[in-house]
Formats: sequence, structure tokens, C-alpha cells
Amino acid sequence: MSLTRRIIFGPDPRRTLVRVVVLAVVSFLTFGWVLIPVRAEGISMLPTFESGSLHLVSRVAYSYSKPSRGDVIAIKLAGPHVLYVKRIIAMPGERVAFIKGQVYVNGAPLLEPYVRNRRLWDVPEVTLTAREYYVVGDNRGMRAADHDFGRVDVSRIVGKLLF
Amino acid sequence: MTRRHALRSVLVLALAALAWWAWRSRETDDERAIRARIEALRNEINASTPDGLGTLAHAAQIGSYFTEDVTIELGEGTSAIHTRDTLMGIAARLQPRTAAFRLEVDDVSVDMVPGAPAADVLLTASFVRRSLSTGEESRDAREYSLVCQKEGNTWRIARVTAIDTLR
Repeated sequence: MSLTRRIIFGPDPRRTLVRVVVLAVVSFLTFGWVLIPVRAEGISMLPTFESGSLHLVSRVAYSYSKPSRGDVIAIKLAGPHVLYVKRIIAMPGERVAFIKGQVYVNGAPLLEPYVRNRRLWDVPEVTLTAREYYVVGDNRGMRAADHDFGRVDVSRIVGKLLF
Repeated sequence: MTRRHALRSVLVLALAALAWWAWRSRETDDERAIRARIEALRNEINASTPDGLGTLAHAAQIGSYFTEDVTIELGEGTSAIHTRDTLMGIAARLQPRTAAFRLEVDDVSVDMVPGAPAADVLLTASFVRRSLSTGEESRDAREYSLVCQKEGNTWRIARVTAIDTLR
């Protein structure tokens, strides 16, 4: 066997083939059903996530537990290729409102250490159903009109951002 | 389990996954035609926009992807657009501004309406804008529901409705 063929196929081509197939199957399963690599685009999650930064979404994070407040989650639109990345600030059944930029959940102010800048957002109180979470980005220095946030149905939650 | 058995299992698993993916990806001629029309519309919108009469021709070309009585509802805070002529007028007026954007379309799913030359389409449309000063791209993604109708041999969009993913 020539050196080039040996470098490409290894000393045992059959074993190399098995390794390639196993690697392909594991990658297909991992990135198809377990982890989704995502690239943040936009400024709505600043300062937590810079635009252009790469992250991994775990699709199995909520298989055995429910999303909780403070989790950063991926939300699907028409499919899994374009996702919203937002933080959960209110849980199903809770009441949530913005008053002069401060979030109130069930009437009590919510401590949000991840928020640096706040504009004086005012959003009337809404009560979430048993299937809804309230999500918002960390960048509250934006105008509320330029920021996508609000109630999301649990069926749209794809998974939790791992980092 | 011998190595031979393990190899066979892995190959069978890989073939099964490939077959499942191929089965899921199968689509009818109409579904393929609708996807192609949406792709062509995207390319038309992203095409460079000439001035003067070219702008009108471009707007007319965009209008040809829609039915005569099209209705477009872009959601809260905007009024609905009715008829192809209105749409073409808006397209012609907005072209200098829309030239700064790039439209991307993802996750197109097509459901044929049984017994009718019509289809329901769901997709994500993203308007990507590059900042001239920083070069950074910003993306505004929205989910849309479309109703497509077949007129002769041509699929056209009869209704566009923006979906509020976050309410």
C-alpha cells in the first residue's frame, strides 16, 4: 500500500470505514436530536450573548425536567433552522408586567442581575396559561417596539442553551 | 457480539436512517413547484433594483407571484394589503429601501389541501440588514402562513399572514 493510501485509509481500511460510519451515525444522531449548534444574530440578548457568538442548544434538557425561570431557551418559528433565543422570566399561571422597565411577577419585582441597561418599558399585566412561559431578551436598553418578547407556548420550546 | 456483527448492525442502522430521511423528504410535483416558486420570489426580491421603468418592471415581476385578490396581513400595527395592484405599488415605492435588505427563507413546509388546487405553506422569512458602518448583520425573523392557489399551471400566493410566535 502506498504511503498516501495508508495515510488516507489507515493500515486497516475496513476498520477505518467502520470508524467513519460510526462517527457519521453518532454525529447525525447528536446534531439531529440532541444538540443544535446556533449562532446568535442581533443584539436582543446583550450583554449575555454577543451577536455572532456560537452556542449549543440541548434538545433533551427538558425531557426529564421542566423549564425554569432564568433559563435561556431556543424557540422555534416555522422550523428548527431559525430560532429565537430568549430568557424565561415568568412561569405558567403567573402574572407578569413591566412597569418603568422593572419586571413584576405576581406583583413582586423580579431581580434580574443579567440586565445592565433598562429603558422604561411599560407592558400591561398578562396572566399566563398553563402552557405558556413569558420570555424576553436581556438587552432592555433597546426600545420595547424593537424587541421581540412575550408569551410563548411550551410546544415551541426547542431546548435550553448550554453555553 | 463479534466485530462482524457490530459492523453489520452499524451499517443497517445507517441505511435505516438514510431510508427514513429519504421517506420524510419525499414530496409531490406540486409541493416541489410551490417550493420553487417561493425560492424564485425570494431571488426576485433580492435581485438588484434598477431605477425608473426598471423599478416598475421589477415590481410587476414581484406582483406576478401573487393572485389578483391577494391579502397580506403583516400583523399588529400595520394595515392589511389588498390586491396585487396595491402590492405592486408598494413594492415599487419601497424598492430603494428594500435594496438594503436581503431576504432569506427557511423551514418551508407545504401541506396540500385535499381535493383542491390549493396549499397551506408555513415558513420563516428573515430580513437581513448589513450595517454600513460596522459591517455587522442584523436579522429580523418572522413566521408566516401562506395560502397558495394554482392558476392554470402556475402557483400563486393568495394570502400571507404573519404569525406572532411571541404574543
